Amino acid sequence: MKTHPMKLVTVICETLAREHLTRLLAAVGAHGYTLFPVEGDGSQGQRPGDIAEFGNIQLEVVVQPAIAEQLLARLHGEFFPRFAMIAYTSDIQVLRPDKF
Amino acid sequence: MPPDLLHAIQANLLSPAVLFFVLGVIAALVKSDLKFPEALYVTLTIYLLTAIGFKGGVAISEAGLGTVWLPALAALALGAAIPLWTYPVLRFAGKFPAVDAAAVAAHYGSVSAVTFIAATNFLNQVNEPFENYATAFLAVMESPAIVVGILLGKRAASGSSSIWGDSTRRVLHEAAFGRSVLLLVGALIIGALCGKRGLTMTEGFFVTPFQGVLALFLLEMGMVAARRLGDLKKVGIFLLAFGVLAPLLHGCIGVALGHWAGLSLGGAMLFGVLAASASYIAAPAAMRLSLPEANPTLYLTSALAITFPFNITVGIPVYFALARWWNS
Repeated sequence: MKTHPMKLVTVICETLAREHLTRLLAAVGAHGYTLFPVEGDGSQGQRPGDIAEFGNIQLEVVVQPAIAEQLLARLHGEFFPRFAMIAYTSDIQVLRPDKF
Repeated sequence: MPPDLLHAIQANLLSPAVLFFVLGVIAALVKSDLKFPEALYVTLTIYLLTAIGFKGGVAISEAGLGTVWLPALAALALGAAIPLWTYPVLRFAGKFPAVDAAAVAAHYGSVSAVTFIAATNFLNQVNEPFENYATAFLAVMESPAIVVGILLGKRAASGSSSIWGDSTRRVLHEAAFGRSVLLLVGALIIGALCGKRGLTMTEGFFVTPFQGVLALFLLEMGMVAARRLGDLKKVGIFLLAFGVLAPLLHGCIGVALGHWAGLSLGGAMLFGVLAASASYIAAPAAMRLSLPEANPTLYLTSALAITFPFNITVGIPVYFALARWWNS
């Protein structure tokens, strides 16, 4: 089956950044995302996740490479100084490129 | 220390709710693996807010809106006014950046429902009657300070980019329809519509298990607060002192204002507790949305690790003693 290259952008951040983040996704033209609550530990302290507002979320979004770049640039410039957050991209293959 | 106050502090510290709070603190300090699932935390919150809202509504139906509106309006005004003096104190005496001062000020003007519930619990324990409709004051005091604090902070924060720009509308939506305001106001209205008959029907669920649920919830809150204790050294001596002195001052103002608004001893004390308490769920969420530049360690640590434990253990009996002194 023929597959097409695409970028998976993963963002792990404090729950309270959620609204800003989903609005940024819409602004750069992502067509959807997947989000789930996670817990962990990092440079800005433990996030045990028993109170949703104090926990972390992980957000995954599949986008075209150009959009991924734009997304990361804006995360770096506007979000990293304000929120507890990490973000990274991975190369993935999808079956239906028009969906993204 | 007067013997009355000492007795009140002792009565408070030996209540199941406060002892479970202490157990929670210990559990976090010794790094026990005890942990509440998030769903349980949310369930307990919904239960507590619904139960006090409903009981408050029934009380409104008995007292009549004519009795409630004046103190409720005073509560709303006090909530909105508290940031107006805490902001300059933090900004100029504490030398905090403007957004941080505004964010902390919003937290201290807003309220903690659990502190309020623990105070009603205390009043029941010392057999001091109070106006059950005081829950209405809790409902109207949560949001005004958050809105005022955000306006203060927005004025100060320059160069906000478009992403943060349009959050004011969302904050107003959250202030009116956020889950705690919605549940409290909704349950108040339902309680007021049902009246005494409704309370009799739901007593087995909303009244009888209440103490136990509160104890369980405070166990969790003890853990949540104690996990923040490590941040105390990051916030500085000024905020440590502020976290204790601000509630004491606001408690005095609240008791006086409650008394002026015609409330009983117990009601004036609850008014003081509301003024003294600081929000740690609604306000932080609103600040992250609207003033993301403000440092969350400052407001979360002071509201959750300093003011909340102080109010639960020592503050509540102190405000009670104040109200009694004022009444005599």
